[in-house]
Amino acid sequence: MINIIAIQSILQSFVSDISDIQGATLVSPDGLAIASALPERVDEERIAAMTAAMLSIGERIGRELARGQIDRVIVVGEKGYSVLVNCSDDAVLLILANANAKQGLLFLEIKRAVAELVPLLAEQPKANLLT
Amino acid sequence: MEVLRIVITGAVGAGKTTLIRTISEIQVVDTDRQATDETALLKPTTTVAFDFGRLTFAPNQALHLYGTPGQARFDFIWDILIQKAHAYIFLVDAHRPQDFRSGRRILSFMNQRAKIPMLIGLTHMDCPGAWDLDDIALALGLFDEATRPAMVPINPTQPSSVSQALMRLVQELMKAPVLN
Ligand SMILES: Nc1nc2c(ncn2[C@@H]2O[C@H](COP(=O)(O)OP(=O)(O)OP(=O)(O)O)[C@@H](O)[C@H]2O)c(=O)[nH]1
Ligand SMILES: [Mg+2]
Repeated sequence: MINIIAIQSILQSFVSDISDIQGATLVSPDGLAIASALPERVDEERIAAMTAAMLSIGERIGRELARGQIDRVIVVGEKGYSVLVNCSDDAVLLILANANAKQGLLFLEIKRAVAELVPLLAEQPKANLLT
Repeated sequence: MEVLRIVITGAVGAGKTTLIRTISEIQVVDTDRQATDETALLKPTTTVAFDFGRLTFAPNQALHLYGTPGQARFDFIWDILIQKAHAYIFLVDAHRPQDFRSGRRILSFMNQRAKIPMLIGLTHMDCPGAWDLDDIALALGLFDEATRPAMVPINPTQPSSVSQALMRLVQELMKAPVLN
């Protein structure tokens, strides 16, 4: 079984330990939330579906324009960042950060979180994602 | 080149992606991903953003075909695509009555947002247990035969069937009072 509790706790501490990070959710490639630490006002189900759609479009654009393997898709607004990162074949990580976040540091922290998440995802055979 | 944007919608597994793959003259942009919800019981992959294909049907006229996802969690994509559509086809898998309710939800979603020409395409009519046209109309809440949209059988796996339906839709579009 996928260790959702462990994943959840990584996401939670990621969000609470790093001041500019406001939320994180791990999503299956077909748009279902696996675990989340999101702000109250965010609708988890919708955001999970949007994350999957966005990454799939980002990947298609990357392929069309010969950008190679896509590791992340970034949406920058005046109030901050949404960063989508491919974690494994079975999961996409979405991170919300406020506008004060320094991009370099943000990506570094995300990389660390992904490194913690990947081993937990590898444990789980695909069929177990079935709900 | 005049471009008509046609949306192909309908519940999971109705045949939206298949239809566009069958008829497109360019390699289809699909965004299918491995299904991990109940869709997985039906087929291995599911559309998570949209399909895109193109069909030139006259020297200066082309259809741009956009296939939607089927699951309601992707309704923001339904909204994006229908806003820009000139016409749409709503597909119903005739042999999966358990999906009629989710189909009906998509139909009313589209109806509320777009008053544009449309067709209802009945797929999987060749499969055992397929409902017939009038029963499906009733199941979709279309009680009045005189005012309900045109309903036609479509086999998304067959080019001739798909092009026939598309040409029918283009005719409806030409008859319509305004092109938006
Ligand atoms: N026998 C038969 N098979 C069909 C017919 N229409 C579609 N199919 C099959 O049904 C399946 C439909 O799958 P898709 O085209 O991926 O369905 P979709 O509507 O894009 O589904 P989502 O993207 O998951 O919402 C394919 O395996 C098709 O070959 C039909 O009229 N008859
Ligand atoms: Mg599809």
